[in-house]
Amino acid sequence: MSSTPGATAAASSSKSKATGSSQAPEKRKPLFQKELQHMMYGFGDEQNPLPETVALVEDIVVEYVTDLTHKAQEIGTKRGRLLVDDFLYLIRKDLPKLNRCRELLAMQEELKQARKAFDVDEEKITSLD
Amino acid sequence: MKHSKDPFEAAIEEEQEESPPESPAGGGDDEEGRHEIEQAPEESERDVGVRRQPKKFKSSVAVAEGKNKDEDEEEEEENMEAELTKYPTTADPAKMAKMQVILSQFTEDQMSRYESFRRSAFQKGNMRKLLQGVTGSQKISMPVIIVNCGIAKMFVGELVETARVVMGERNDSGPIRPCHIRESYRRLKLEGKVPKRSVPRLFH
Repeated sequence: MSSTPGATAAASSSKSKATGSSQAPEKRKPLFQKELQHMMYGFGDEQNPLPETVALVEDIVVEYVTDLTHKAQEIGTKRGRLLVDDFLYLIRKDLPKLNRCRELLAMQEELKQARKAFDVDEEKITSLD
Repeated sequence: MKHSKDPFEAAIEEEQEESPPESPAGGGDDEEGRHEIEQAPEESERDVGVRRQPKKFKSSVAVAEGKNKDEDEEEEEENMEAELTKYPTTADPAKMAKMQVILSQFTEDQMSRYESFRRSAFQKGNMRKLLQGVTGSQKISMPVIIVNCGIAKMFVGELVETARVVMGERNDSGPIRPCHIRESYRRLKLEGKVPKRSVPRLFH
């Protein structure tokens, strides 16, 4: 299997990202095997999912993330950077995912604030000495 | 060992005493939660019902763990309890009480599965690598990575749950096989939940 000649540059870069091998673009080094096994069990599969199933799910997820990111890039291309808002726009129709992303982002903010406060407290404590 | 000091249960008990901060997506989430419950297959209905509500727990852990150390380890019990107490599931104490009731009635099997559901997450480092490969740019901001991890996990959930539905229709049992996943993927595509490539993939 060779790289698709008709695809855009961005698409072919995603295929060659796996150690730059241009000969077998679908042979990705498994990125998410361990986590995927636990995740699939959590969502309803058996304790030990079949390896071929995990591999297939990984391929599908990688393709999903790749396609989503490409679309986000197309949207954000005027700005030149990839922003979160592009992703949020893309999943605007999918309410569970959208709400979940909002939670995650809000929590990240809270954690940041908490850490900042922690650092400030630490300074106060050390300055007391 | 049913109602033993599982870190989740312990943390939830502690949380109920705290006053919850304003949780932005608390209201919207509930409706989606109920909507999703109706669509779930029977055997995991309770599981789904439970799952949809407290997804917020998982995220705090994932974010914390990702920030502190990018570890494979999933037994970060101390981290978990500490983070869980700060971020209650939703601002609604009635919801939390319901959660508590459901959790206390879990069998060991269900609890173990729930635990896996909560703790599993995509590693931020790997996701960053993937995104860098896709975009070709070196700098991927943290929110983008976090959002992608969250979206991907939910997508896996949709895949697996739909695959279980497919299995139910075919009266199959046992572990999920690739043919079920392929059928599930096909159905998700028909529903429009999978982004379509503007340029069709040739020689795939």
